[in-house]
Amino acid sequence: MATREVFWNISYPYVMYLLAALGVAYWIYSLYQRYQLWRIGRPDECTQEIGKRIRVFIQTLLTEILTHRKFLRDPFPGIMHFLIFWGWIILLLASAVDAFTYYANLHLVGTPYLWFSLIVDIGGLLVIIGMLMAVLRRYILKPERLNSVFDDGIITALILIILVTGYMVEGLRQAATELKTHPEWALWSPGGFVFAKAFEGMDEESLRFWHQWLWWFHALMTIGGFVYVGLVFSKFQHILVSPLNIFFRNLGPVGVPAPIDIEKAETLGVGEIKDFTWKQLLDLDACTNCGRCQDACPAWATGKPLSPRKVIQDLKVHMVKANKKQTHSSESVPTLVGEAPTEEEIWACTTCAACQETCPVYVEHLVKIIDLRRNLVLAHSKMPETAQLMLRNMQSRGHPWAGIQSLRLRGDWTSEIEVKVLSEGDRVKTLFWVGCTGALAERNVKATLSMAKVLKAVGIDFGVLGEAETCCGDPARRAGYEFQFQISAEQNIETFKNHQIQEIITMCPHCYHTLKNEYPKYGGAFKVIHYTQFLYDLIQQKKLNLSHALALNLTYQDPCYLGRYNHLYQEPRQVLQALPQIRLKEMERSRNRSFCCGGGGGHMWIEEQPGTTKINQMRLEDVLKTGADTVVTACPYCLQMFEESIEHKGMKETLKAKDLVELVEEAMEATRT
Amino acid sequence: MNTIVCVKQVPDPEIPPAKFKIDPETKKVVPPPGVPPVISVYDERAVEAALRLKDKHKGKITVISVGAGKVSDVVRHALSMGADEGFVIEDGAFENLDSFGTATVLSKAIQKIGGYDLILCGRQAADWGAGQVGSILAEILGIPVVTFACGIEAVDKKLRVRRVVKDGFEILETPMPSLVTVSSEIGLPRLPAGMSLMLARKKQIPVWKPQDIGLDLSDLDKEKAHTEIIGLSIPTRKKECEIITGTTPAEAAIQLAEKLSQLF
Repeated sequence: MATREVFWNISYPYVMYLLAALGVAYWIYSLYQRYQLWRIGRPDECTQEIGKRIRVFIQTLLTEILTHRKFLRDPFPGIMHFLIFWGWIILLLASAVDAFTYYANLHLVGTPYLWFSLIVDIGGLLVIIGMLMAVLRRYILKPERLNSVFDDGIITALILIILVTGYMVEGLRQAATELKTHPEWALWSPGGFVFAKAFEGMDEESLRFWHQWLWWFHALMTIGGFVYVGLVFSKFQHILVSPLNIFFRNLGPVGVPAPIDIEKAETLGVGEIKDFTWKQLLDLDACTNCGRCQDACPAWATGKPLSPRKVIQDLKVHMVKANKKQTHSSESVPTLVGEAPTEEEIWACTTCAACQETCPVYVEHLVKIIDLRRNLVLAHSKMPETAQLMLRNMQSRGHPWAGIQSLRLRGDWTSEIEVKVLSEGDRVKTLFWVGCTGALAERNVKATLSMAKVLKAVGIDFGVLGEAETCCGDPARRAGYEFQFQISAEQNIETFKNHQIQEIITMCPHCYHTLKNEYPKYGGAFKVIHYTQFLYDLIQQKKLNLSHALALNLTYQDPCYLGRYNHLYQEPRQVLQALPQIRLKEMERSRNRSFCCGGGGGHMWIEEQPGTTKINQMRLEDVLKTGADTVVTACPYCLQMFEESIEHKGMKETLKAKDLVELVEEAMEATRT
Repeated sequence: MNTIVCVKQVPDPEIPPAKFKIDPETKKVVPPPGVPPVISVYDERAVEAALRLKDKHKGKITVISVGAGKVSDVVRHALSMGADEGFVIEDGAFENLDSFGTATVLSKAIQKIGGYDLILCGRQAADWGAGQVGSILAEILGIPVVTFACGIEAVDKKLRVRRVVKDGFEILETPMPSLVTVSSEIGLPRLPAGMSLMLARKKQIPVWKPQDIGLDLSDLDKEKAHTEIIGLSIPTRKKECEIITGTTPAEAAIQLAEKLSQLF
């Protein structure tokens, strides 16, 4: 019966157990130390709802981690990680089975043993292939997003050495035993067999000698690996820390910063590393420096100083340094912003959430950046001049627009169409919330009018606020000027309540996100729907007669705050598909991988820093690649940004930027006359 | 040092002139509906100037505003920037005050507050732009006035004021108390910091009536006004665009320089 002797040729195997216990103990101690480090942060709400978290984590484990769904979006590194991940799982499970059967006296023999040997060897082989891919990628192909440090080299070498010596030990054993007695058994351990064949000519004594030495070397390297990983807090720790981070991740809507309690707040935003919550610090250690976020970042792609990867890594370095200085000397804690990351980096973010969407371990960059902005703005009044102008305008006139952009007054558009403008005491169930840009910017007013016409055509009883509508607060919140947001939110919620509004249809995805996901914390829970959802419902109910053929080649820009923030990918596309005679060609980067227009996070007003190009110009190139004659979006910022980049490129004659509702209205025209 | 800043509420100057209407009967400007009232831009800079002095020398900043309707918002804005205390003086009779009338009301309020080292006003209001209240107010109070300040320092119980003149600036010294009117060159007003913004929302802004400041409304009678409005009109602005060409950029630049020199 095929089998092998466990601990063949090895004396005192318990010495190995003892050393392994010490190594693992040290490693656990290092994790405990790191846990203490995270605890310099503030408390976090993420320790609530543990039951729900367990459920969600298991779900994530099954649908995302084991399948590598997020990793495989990027095939090469995805497959690489998949092989290493599953290879290790096989090896670890196999070791567990080995130990269990040995100590439970259930020796594996015969065919099961042979299959077991084969699977173990395949596991190791998977890891080796994956690791060689990693070496190829990191040290030969060198993609821009990889930022190699010493630790990367050490752990790569360590893993390869451990695996190859494992096969060698197996080969030496085979050469000394089964190769002579049952050579067909050896074939079931192909990794070891290769070495067994190479060692075949050696005499048994040297085989035993080298086997023993290599066995101990292999064991000590493995145990040493634990010690090393703990000693330098290697990125290898991600095996434990990243799942922990996934477990404690934000389960609510994306990018919603915590409210600041004016009565209790000791600090405004994050000025020092300890102002982050412990979960935010855990985030820093969960990051493996893989660079997926950097690849997705529109600021980085257009040559701005911001890389989300670097922000997280710099904060991690700072966390360790600041903590050391605090505990070991009287030196003051180094300033956070300026050292890591810089003000320029913080202000370059458009809050498009592409970084978070792509991160396999759920690092949350957005709220950190907003927290850092908060401290700059609220505590130090430091911000780009254009941000200041925007906030000043919001404060004095209730919207961020100024100068020639505000040639209109907020209620002007209502004089162009008959709509119910709510005055004091009026009550209405459905409110059409236009938003600042939809009410003030001339181009966007056209879309607003289209929407009002559609609403009227389908016979919805709705009202608008006209002059009384003010900014939802989004640009202030993204820019870190939290209290202005709070004032706007409280005012608007009061207005909604005064008019007994139950349902709000918004034009702008930014208003949509703010009203829907952020107002509830300020006592305003209303049914908020984006107009694309509303149109989609009308189409489902066959209440929209879209008969007028448009004959357009379209491509669709997913607004970040509609797609990545609120997962509305399908609705706008269904509406587009319902338009007669249109052809929709998707851009290469679309849906959750959509590329920002450049207008979010306050950047509709905050001037874009100089880089290699502008974000909207880069996105226009994506549009052009589709050959579309019309780029459709469902966001006033995107519309503005495309209008600007089309004009800049001198293509106004051949390429149009349209709001989705404008097309719907055009398609309806025939029915309405 | 204690500073009193006088601020005025004006219709948002960002509103394009064409949106305003003029009532020829009453000779009044009718702003379009829904125009948010804002603090006059120069007055906001006067508040900034006061705050900069306070940053250096401590003390207290009191903000006052005169108006016929609700003007507490502009005072609250100044409080949110960091001023300590604010009062508004309101009465229906204050509608259409001329510079002398406004200065009279302000002088009574300032005498009631008392204990000041410096009074700041904007160089002119963003709506009427008369630029007289500051000087008249100083005259009534009997204190020196320096206009068009672009920098104020307190040195040895005196004020050293940088004053904008046509081809540069001059530096003047004036004793305390004095009145200084502030020009935009002083620099951008600060964005209200987070905390003060929220705290200002909760602050009480007392409203004074004419009798509270010992003002006899007959002093503001129309007959006693020093100015009379004869006519009002909305300025029309003509835009002309000329593209300057040239075979080389240098040539175009020369052409442009010539054009510009003809204009001035």
